[in-house]
Amino acid sequence: MLQVIETKNKIREYILESTFDDVENITDETLIFEKGVLDSMGLLFLIEFLKEEFGITTNDDELVVENFESINNIVAFIENKL
Amino acid sequence: MNTTLKKPFTKDILHIDDIESVCNEIIAKMRTDVAKKLQRRGAVIGISGGIDSSACLALSAKAFGPKNVTAIMLPEQDSSDDSRNLAEELAAAFGVTQTLVENITGALEGFGCYRRRDEAISRVITDFDPSVDKSKIEIKQDPASSLPPAFSITVIRPNGEEVSKLLPVKEYLQIVAASNFKQRSRMSMLYYHAERLHAAVIGTPNKHEVQQGFFVKYGDGGADVMPIGHLYKTQVYQIAAHLGVPQGILDRTPTTDTYTAEQTQEDFFYQMPHKEMDLYWYGWENGYSAEEVSKVMGRTAEEVENIYKNMERKQKTTEYLRMKPIF
Repeated sequence: MLQVIETKNKIREYILESTFDDVENITDETLIFEKGVLDSMGLLFLIEFLKEEFGITTNDDELVVENFESINNIVAFIENKL
Repeated sequence: MNTTLKKPFTKDILHIDDIESVCNEIIAKMRTDVAKKLQRRGAVIGISGGIDSSACLALSAKAFGPKNVTAIMLPEQDSSDDSRNLAEELAAAFGVTQTLVENITGALEGFGCYRRRDEAISRVITDFDPSVDKSKIEIKQDPASSLPPAFSITVIRPNGEEVSKLLPVKEYLQIVAASNFKQRSRMSMLYYHAERLHAAVIGTPNKHEVQQGFFVKYGDGGADVMPIGHLYKTQVYQIAAHLGVPQGILDRTPTTDTYTAEQTQEDFFYQMPHKEMDLYWYGWENGYSAEEVSKVMGRTAEEVENIYKNMERKQKTTEYLRMKPIF
Protein backbone atom coordinates (compact mmCIF):
# COMPACT_ATOMS: atom_id res chain seq x y z
CA MET A 1 0.00 0.00 0.00
CA LEU A 2 2.79 2.38 0.93
CA GLN A 3 4.50 1.58 -2.33
CA VAL A 4 1.35 2.45 -4.29
CA ILE A 5 1.09 5.80 -2.54
CA GLU A 6 4.74 6.50 -3.24
CA THR A 7 4.32 5.61 -6.92
CA LYS A 8 1.24 7.82 -7.14
CA ASN A 9 3.08 10.76 -5.59
CA LYS A 10 6.02 10.38 -7.96
CA ILE A 11 3.73 10.42 -10.97
CA ARG A 12 1.75 13.39 -9.74
CA GLU A 13 4.96 15.24 -8.98
CA TYR A 14 6.31 14.43 -12.45
CA ILE A 15 3.14 15.70 -14.14
CA LEU A 16 3.08 18.89 -12.09
CA GLU A 17 6.75 19.58 -12.74
CA SER A 18 6.47 19.04 -16.46
CA THR A 19 3.22 20.94 -17.03
CA PHE A 20 3.43 23.76 -14.44
CA ASP A 21 -0.22 22.94 -13.75
CA ASP A 22 -1.91 23.81 -10.45
CA VAL A 23 -1.97 21.03 -7.86
CA GLU A 24 -5.74 21.33 -7.36
CA ASN A 25 -6.34 20.70 -11.09
CA ILE A 26 -4.92 17.20 -11.02
CA THR A 27 -6.51 14.52 -8.91
CA ASP A 28 -5.84 10.79 -9.10
CA GLU A 29 -8.94 10.48 -11.31
CA THR A 30 -8.29 13.42 -13.67
CA LEU A 31 -8.34 12.29 -17.29
CA ILE A 32 -4.96 13.78 -18.10
CA PHE A 33 -5.13 13.43 -21.89
CA GLU A 34 -8.80 14.14 -22.25
CA LYS A 35 -8.40 17.32 -20.19
CA GLY A 36 -5.34 18.34 -22.19
CA VAL A 37 -2.96 18.20 -19.21
CA LEU A 38 -0.56 16.15 -21.36
CA ASP A 39 -0.45 16.02 -25.17
CA SER A 40 1.12 13.48 -27.54
CA MET A 41 4.66 14.59 -26.72
CA GLY A 42 3.66 14.54 -23.07
CA LEU A 43 2.73 10.88 -23.49
CA LEU A 44 6.14 10.08 -24.97
CA PHE A 45 7.95 11.90 -22.16
CA LEU A 46 5.75 10.10 -19.61
CA ILE A 47 6.71 6.73 -21.11
CA GLU A 48 10.36 7.78 -20.84
CA PHE A 49 9.82 8.80 -17.20
CA LEU A 50 8.26 5.40 -16.38
CA LYS A 51 11.30 3.71 -17.88
CA GLU A 52 13.84 5.84 -16.03
CA GLU A 53 12.02 5.96 -12.71
CA PHE A 54 10.50 2.47 -12.51
CA GLY A 55 12.37 0.47 -15.17
CA ILE A 56 9.08 -0.08 -17.02
CA THR A 57 9.21 -0.59 -20.78
CA THR A 58 5.96 0.16 -22.61
CA ASN A 59 5.22 -1.99 -25.63
CA ASP A 60 3.14 -1.03 -28.69
CA ASP A 61 0.16 -3.10 -27.57
CA GLU A 62 0.17 -1.53 -24.09
CA LEU A 63 -0.35 1.93 -25.53
CA VAL A 64 -4.06 1.97 -24.73
CA VAL A 65 -6.15 4.50 -22.91
CA GLU A 66 -6.85 2.12 -20.01
CA ASN A 67 -3.16 2.20 -19.04
CA PHE A 68 -2.61 5.95 -19.22
CA GLU A 69 -5.80 7.97 -18.86
CA SER A 70 -5.33 8.98 -15.20
CA ILE A 71 -2.78 8.76 -12.40
CA ASN A 72 -4.73 5.82 -10.93
CA ASN A 73 -4.59 3.97 -14.27
CA ILE A 74 -0.88 4.63 -14.67
CA VAL A 75 -0.22 3.30 -11.18
CA ALA A 76 -2.24 0.15 -11.95
CA PHE A 77 -0.25 -0.28 -15.17
CA ILE A 78 3.03 0.01 -13.25
CA GLU A 79 1.88 -2.39 -10.54
CA ASN A 80 0.95 -4.96 -13.19
CA LYS A 81 4.33 -4.65 -14.87
CA LEU A 82 6.45 -4.85 -11.72
CA MET B 1 -32.51 34.33 -33.99
CA ASN B 2 -30.11 32.67 -36.38
CA THR B 3 -32.19 31.06 -39.09
CA THR B 4 -29.28 29.91 -41.27
CA LEU B 5 -29.64 26.21 -41.84
CA LYS B 6 -26.61 24.00 -42.19
CA LYS B 7 -26.50 21.57 -45.08
CA PRO B 8 -27.17 18.02 -43.90
CA PHE B 9 -23.90 16.12 -43.48
CA THR B 10 -23.25 13.85 -46.47
CA LYS B 11 -20.20 12.22 -48.04
CA ASP B 12 -20.40 14.77 -50.90
CA ILE B 13 -20.43 17.82 -48.69
CA LEU B 14 -16.95 18.90 -49.79
CA HIS B 15 -17.69 18.74 -53.50
CA ILE B 16 -17.13 22.11 -55.18
CA ASP B 17 -20.08 22.77 -57.50
CA ASP B 18 -18.66 25.70 -59.45
CA ILE B 19 -15.06 24.54 -59.79
CA GLU B 20 -14.24 26.96 -62.59
CA SER B 21 -15.10 29.99 -60.43
CA VAL B 22 -13.13 28.65 -57.46
CA CYS B 23 -10.04 28.13 -59.66
CA ASN B 24 -10.42 31.61 -61.15
CA GLU B 25 -10.66 33.17 -57.69
CA ILE B 26 -7.48 31.42 -56.55
CA ILE B 27 -5.66 32.41 -59.74
CA ALA B 28 -6.72 36.06 -59.41
CA LYS B 29 -5.62 36.11 -55.77
CA MET B 30 -2.24 34.58 -56.66
CA ARG B 31 -1.65 37.35 -59.21
CA THR B 32 -2.55 40.07 -56.72
CA ASP B 33 -0.52 38.51 -53.91
CA VAL B 34 2.62 37.97 -55.98
CA ALA B 35 2.60 41.05 -58.20
CA LYS B 36 1.02 43.64 -55.91
CA LYS B 37 1.60 42.58 -52.31
CA LEU B 38 4.96 40.85 -52.69
CA GLN B 39 6.08 42.77 -55.77
CA ARG B 40 7.68 39.70 -57.29
CA ARG B 41 7.67 38.49 -60.88
CA GLY B 42 6.53 34.96 -61.42
CA ALA B 43 6.78 31.88 -59.28
CA VAL B 44 9.22 29.24 -58.15
CA ILE B 45 7.72 25.96 -57.03
CA GLY B 46 9.14 22.68 -55.81
CA ILE B 47 7.41 19.76 -57.51
CA SER B 48 7.43 16.20 -56.25
CA GLY B 49 4.89 14.40 -58.38
CA GLY B 50 2.41 14.60 -55.50
CA ILE B 51 -1.10 16.01 -55.78
CA ASP B 52 -0.54 19.21 -53.79
CA SER B 53 2.52 20.49 -55.65
CA SER B 54 0.90 19.42 -58.92
CA ALA B 55 -2.25 21.45 -58.25
CA CYS B 56 -0.09 24.42 -57.23
CA LEU B 57 1.99 24.16 -60.39
CA ALA B 58 -1.16 24.03 -62.51
CA LEU B 59 -2.57 27.10 -60.73
CA SER B 60 0.76 28.93 -61.05
CA ALA B 61 1.00 28.22 -64.78
CA LYS B 62 -2.53 29.62 -65.23
CA ALA B 63 -1.86 32.62 -63.00
CA PHE B 64 1.51 33.77 -64.27
CA GLY B 65 1.86 32.00 -67.64
CA PRO B 66 4.10 28.94 -68.05
CA LYS B 67 7.13 30.99 -69.01
CA ASN B 68 7.04 32.81 -65.67
CA VAL B 69 7.03 29.63 -63.62
CA THR B 70 10.15 27.73 -62.62
CA ALA B 71 9.50 24.17 -61.49
CA ILE B 72 12.22 22.58 -59.40
CA MET B 73 12.56 18.92 -58.57
CA LEU B 74 14.52 18.43 -55.35
CA PRO B 75 15.24 14.72 -55.04
CA GLU B 76 17.64 13.13 -52.57
CA GLN B 77 18.89 9.61 -52.13
CA ASP B 78 15.67 8.36 -50.48
CA SER B 79 13.30 9.82 -53.11
CA SER B 80 11.47 7.40 -55.36
CA ASP B 81 12.13 7.47 -59.10
CA ASP B 82 8.37 7.62 -59.67
CA SER B 83 8.30 11.06 -58.09
CA ARG B 84 10.76 12.44 -60.60
CA ASN B 85 9.09 10.90 -63.64
CA LEU B 86 5.68 12.21 -62.61
CA ALA B 87 7.08 15.67 -61.88
CA GLU B 88 8.59 15.83 -65.39
CA GLU B 89 5.30 14.73 -66.94
CA LEU B 90 3.47 17.38 -64.94
CA ALA B 91 5.73 20.27 -66.03
CA ALA B 92 5.36 19.18 -69.65
CA ALA B 93 1.56 19.01 -69.32
CA PHE B 94 1.38 22.67 -68.33
CA GLY B 95 4.02 23.91 -70.78
CA VAL B 96 6.47 24.82 -68.03
CA THR B 97 9.84 24.62 -69.74
CA GLN B 98 11.95 26.15 -66.99
CA THR B 99 12.45 22.95 -65.03
CA LEU B 100 15.47 22.20 -62.91
CA VAL B 101 16.67 19.20 -60.96
CA GLU B 102 18.53 20.07 -57.79
CA ASN B 103 19.67 16.93 -56.04
CA ILE B 104 20.06 17.82 -52.35
CA THR B 105 21.76 14.57 -51.26
CA GLY B 106 25.15 16.27 -50.89
CA ALA B 107 23.70 19.05 -48.74
CA LEU B 108 21.94 16.48 -46.56
CA GLU B 109 25.13 14.49 -46.14
CA GLY B 110 26.84 17.71 -45.10
CA PHE B 111 24.19 18.32 -42.45
CA GLY B 112 24.53 14.73 -41.25
CA CYS B 113 20.84 14.13 -41.98
CA TYR B 114 21.15 10.42 -42.82
CA ARG B 115 23.81 9.68 -40.20
CA ARG B 116 21.93 11.35 -37.36
CA ARG B 117 18.65 9.66 -38.35
CA ASP B 118 20.24 6.21 -38.68
CA GLU B 119 22.08 6.56 -35.35
CA ALA B 120 18.76 7.10 -33.60
CA ILE B 121 17.12 4.15 -35.38
CA SER B 122 20.07 1.91 -34.45
CA ARG B 123 19.61 2.75 -30.76
CA VAL B 124 16.08 1.28 -30.94
CA ILE B 125 16.64 -1.58 -33.39
CA THR B 126 20.25 -2.49 -32.69
CA ASP B 127 20.83 -4.69 -35.74
CA PHE B 128 19.50 -2.07 -38.17
CA ASP B 129 21.75 -1.90 -41.23
CA PRO B 130 21.02 1.29 -43.19
CA SER B 131 22.99 0.04 -46.19
CA VAL B 132 20.40 -2.68 -46.89
CA ASP B 133 17.42 -2.19 -44.55
CA LYS B 134 14.67 0.32 -45.21
CA SER B 135 12.91 2.28 -42.48
CA LYS B 136 9.93 4.49 -41.77
CA ILE B 137 8.08 5.91 -38.81
CA GLU B 138 4.34 5.43 -38.45
CA ILE B 139 1.37 5.69 -36.12
CA LYS B 140 -0.17 2.31 -35.40
CA GLN B 141 -2.96 3.32 -33.05
CA ASP B 142 -6.62 3.51 -33.93
CA PRO B 143 -7.54 7.17 -34.63
CA ALA B 144 -10.72 6.61 -32.62
CA SER B 145 -8.64 5.94 -29.49
CA SER B 146 -8.81 8.72 -26.92
CA LEU B 147 -5.08 8.41 -26.20
CA PRO B 148 -2.77 10.73 -28.21
CA PRO B 149 -0.90 9.00 -31.04
CA ALA B 150 2.69 7.79 -30.61
CA PHE B 151 5.10 6.86 -33.36
CA SER B 152 6.72 3.49 -34.00
CA ILE B 153 9.83 2.79 -36.06
CA THR B 154 9.50 0.02 -38.64
CA VAL B 155 12.57 -1.52 -40.24
CA ILE B 156 12.10 -3.62 -43.37
CA ARG B 157 14.79 -6.22 -44.13
CA PRO B 158 15.87 -7.10 -47.69
CA ASN B 159 13.79 -10.32 -47.41
CA GLY B 160 10.68 -8.31 -46.56
CA GLU B 161 10.68 -9.15 -42.87
CA GLU B 162 9.45 -6.23 -40.73
CA VAL B 163 10.55 -5.27 -37.22
CA SER B 164 8.59 -2.57 -35.45
CA LYS B 165 9.09 -0.89 -32.07
CA LEU B 166 7.52 1.99 -30.23
CA LEU B 167 9.89 4.96 -30.46
CA PRO B 168 11.25 6.37 -27.20
CA VAL B 169 10.97 10.14 -27.05
CA LYS B 170 14.68 10.96 -27.57
CA GLU B 171 14.98 8.77 -30.64
CA TYR B 172 11.66 9.97 -32.06
CA LEU B 173 12.72 13.59 -31.75
CA GLN B 174 16.16 12.91 -33.26
CA ILE B 175 14.72 11.04 -36.25
CA VAL B 176 12.22 13.82 -36.95
CA ALA B 177 14.78 16.58 -36.43
CA ALA B 178 17.26 14.86 -38.76
CA SER B 179 14.62 14.15 -41.42
CA ASN B 180 13.47 17.77 -41.32
CA PHE B 181 16.81 18.76 -42.88
CA LYS B 182 15.20 17.53 -46.12
CA GLN B 183 12.36 20.04 -46.16
CA ARG B 184 14.57 22.84 -44.86
CA SER B 185 17.24 22.19 -47.51
CA ARG B 186 14.54 22.25 -50.18
CA MET B 187 13.27 25.56 -48.83
CA SER B 188 16.79 27.04 -48.99
CA MET B 189 17.20 25.94 -52.59
CA LEU B 190 13.77 27.28 -53.61
CA TYR B 191 14.62 30.67 -52.11
CA TYR B 192 17.97 30.69 -53.89
CA HIS B 193 16.16 30.41 -57.21
CA ALA B 194 13.33 32.75 -56.18
CA GLU B 195 15.79 35.46 -55.23
CA ARG B 196 17.86 34.86 -58.37
CA LEU B 197 14.71 35.32 -60.48
CA HIS B 198 13.00 37.94 -58.28
CA ALA B 199 10.09 35.52 -58.03
CA ALA B 200 7.85 34.28 -55.19
CA VAL B 201 8.06 30.82 -53.63
CA ILE B 202 4.75 29.01 -53.93
CA GLY B 203 4.06 26.85 -50.87
CA THR B 204 2.15 23.64 -51.41
CA PRO B 205 0.61 22.64 -48.04
CA ASN B 206 -3.15 22.05 -48.08
CA LYS B 207 -5.61 22.91 -45.31
CA HIS B 208 -4.95 19.74 -43.33
CA GLU B 209 -1.21 20.08 -43.48
CA VAL B 210 -1.46 23.67 -42.28
CA GLN B 211 -4.08 23.12 -39.59
CA GLN B 212 -2.93 19.73 -38.28
CA GLY B 213 0.73 20.68 -38.39
CA PHE B 214 1.86 18.20 -41.03
CA PHE B 215 4.62 20.44 -42.31
CA VAL B 216 8.10 21.45 -41.27
CA LYS B 217 8.49 24.89 -39.76
CA TYR B 218 10.81 26.88 -42.03
CA GLY B 219 10.80 23.87 -44.36
CA ASP B 220 7.79 23.22 -46.57
CA GLY B 221 6.03 25.71 -44.29
CA GLY B 222 8.45 28.38 -45.54
CA ALA B 223 6.91 30.06 -48.59
CA ASP B 224 5.50 33.37 -49.79
CA VAL B 225 2.08 32.26 -51.01
CA MET B 226 0.06 29.15 -50.14
CA PRO B 227 -2.70 28.96 -52.75
CA ILE B 228 -4.28 25.72 -51.50
CA GLY B 229 -3.77 26.32 -47.77
CA HIS B 230 -7.53 26.75 -47.33
CA LEU B 231 -8.58 23.64 -49.30
CA TYR B 232 -9.35 20.11 -48.13
CA LYS B 233 -7.32 17.45 -49.91
CA THR B 234 -10.50 16.13 -51.57
CA GLN B 235 -10.94 19.59 -53.09
CA VAL B 236 -7.29 19.76 -54.13
CA TYR B 237 -7.89 16.55 -56.10
CA GLN B 238 -10.98 18.09 -57.69
CA ILE B 239 -9.06 21.21 -58.73
CA ALA B 240 -6.12 19.17 -60.03
CA ALA B 241 -8.43 17.02 -62.15
CA HIS B 242 -10.27 20.08 -63.45
CA LEU B 243 -7.04 21.79 -64.48
CA GLY B 244 -5.73 18.70 -66.27
CA VAL B 245 -3.10 17.26 -63.92
CA PRO B 246 -1.92 13.94 -65.44
CA GLN B 247 -3.89 10.84 -64.42
CA GLY B 248 -0.78 9.11 -63.04
CA ILE B 249 -0.58 11.81 -60.35
CA LEU B 250 -4.32 11.77 -59.60
CA ASP B 251 -4.23 7.99 -59.15
CA ARG B 252 -1.18 7.90 -56.90
CA THR B 253 -1.51 7.20 -53.18
CA PRO B 254 -0.20 10.23 -51.24
CA THR B 255 3.22 9.42 -49.79
CA THR B 256 5.67 11.37 -47.68
CA ASP B 257 8.64 10.42 -49.89
CA THR B 258 10.81 11.16 -46.86
CA TYR B 259 11.82 7.79 -45.43
CA THR B 260 13.61 4.94 -47.19
CA ALA B 261 10.66 2.54 -46.89
CA GLU B 262 7.53 3.32 -48.84
CA GLN B 263 5.24 5.25 -46.57
CA THR B 264 1.79 6.67 -47.13
CA GLN B 265 0.67 9.90 -45.49
CA GLU B 266 -1.99 7.79 -43.81
CA ASP B 267 0.62 5.59 -42.06
CA PHE B 268 2.76 8.52 -41.16
CA PHE B 269 0.35 11.02 -39.79
CA TYR B 270 -3.31 10.98 -40.62
CA GLN B 271 -4.20 7.42 -39.52
CA MET B 272 -7.04 7.22 -42.06
CA PRO B 273 -7.58 7.79 -45.79
CA HIS B 274 -7.72 11.49 -46.72
CA LYS B 275 -11.30 11.24 -48.00
CA GLU B 276 -12.49 10.12 -44.58
CA MET B 277 -10.28 12.51 -42.70
CA ASP B 278 -11.54 15.45 -44.76
CA LEU B 279 -15.11 14.66 -43.84
CA TYR B 280 -14.40 14.31 -40.12
CA TRP B 281 -12.39 17.53 -40.19
CA TYR B 282 -15.22 19.35 -41.97
CA GLY B 283 -17.72 17.95 -39.51
CA TRP B 284 -15.65 19.01 -36.53
CA GLU B 285 -14.81 22.43 -37.91
CA ASN B 286 -18.40 23.21 -38.83
CA GLY B 287 -20.04 22.01 -35.66
CA TYR B 288 -21.75 18.85 -36.92
CA SER B 289 -22.54 16.58 -33.99
CA ALA B 290 -20.61 13.33 -33.61
CA GLU B 291 -23.94 11.55 -33.78
CA GLU B 292 -24.91 13.03 -37.18
CA VAL B 293 -21.47 12.35 -38.64
CA SER B 294 -21.33 8.83 -37.22
CA LYS B 295 -24.49 7.84 -39.14
CA VAL B 296 -22.90 8.85 -42.46
CA MET B 297 -19.42 7.53 -41.74
CA GLY B 298 -20.35 4.14 -40.27
CA ARG B 299 -18.67 4.60 -36.89
CA THR B 300 -20.13 4.98 -33.42
CA ALA B 301 -20.75 8.47 -32.07
CA GLU B 302 -18.13 7.80 -29.39
CA GLU B 303 -15.53 6.96 -32.02
CA VAL B 304 -16.33 10.14 -33.94
CA GLU B 305 -16.10 12.11 -30.70
CA ASN B 306 -12.60 10.67 -30.16
CA ILE B 307 -11.60 11.51 -33.75
CA TYR B 308 -12.81 15.09 -33.15
CA LYS B 309 -10.74 15.23 -29.96
CA ASN B 310 -7.71 13.88 -31.81
CA MET B 311 -8.07 16.62 -34.43
CA GLU B 312 -8.53 19.30 -31.82
CA ARG B 313 -5.46 17.99 -30.01
CA LYS B 314 -3.35 17.99 -33.18
CA GLN B 315 -4.37 21.54 -34.00
CA LYS B 316 -3.59 22.70 -30.47
CA THR B 317 -0.26 20.90 -30.09
CA THR B 318 1.02 22.10 -33.48
CA GLU B 319 0.17 25.75 -32.86
CA TYR B 320 3.90 26.28 -32.33
CA LEU B 321 4.52 25.44 -35.99
CA ARG B 322 2.18 28.17 -37.21
CA MET B 323 3.42 30.83 -34.81
CA LYS B 324 5.66 33.66 -35.91
CA PRO B 325 8.64 34.50 -33.69
CA ILE B 326 7.49 36.13 -30.46
CA PHE B 327 8.97 39.47 -29.48
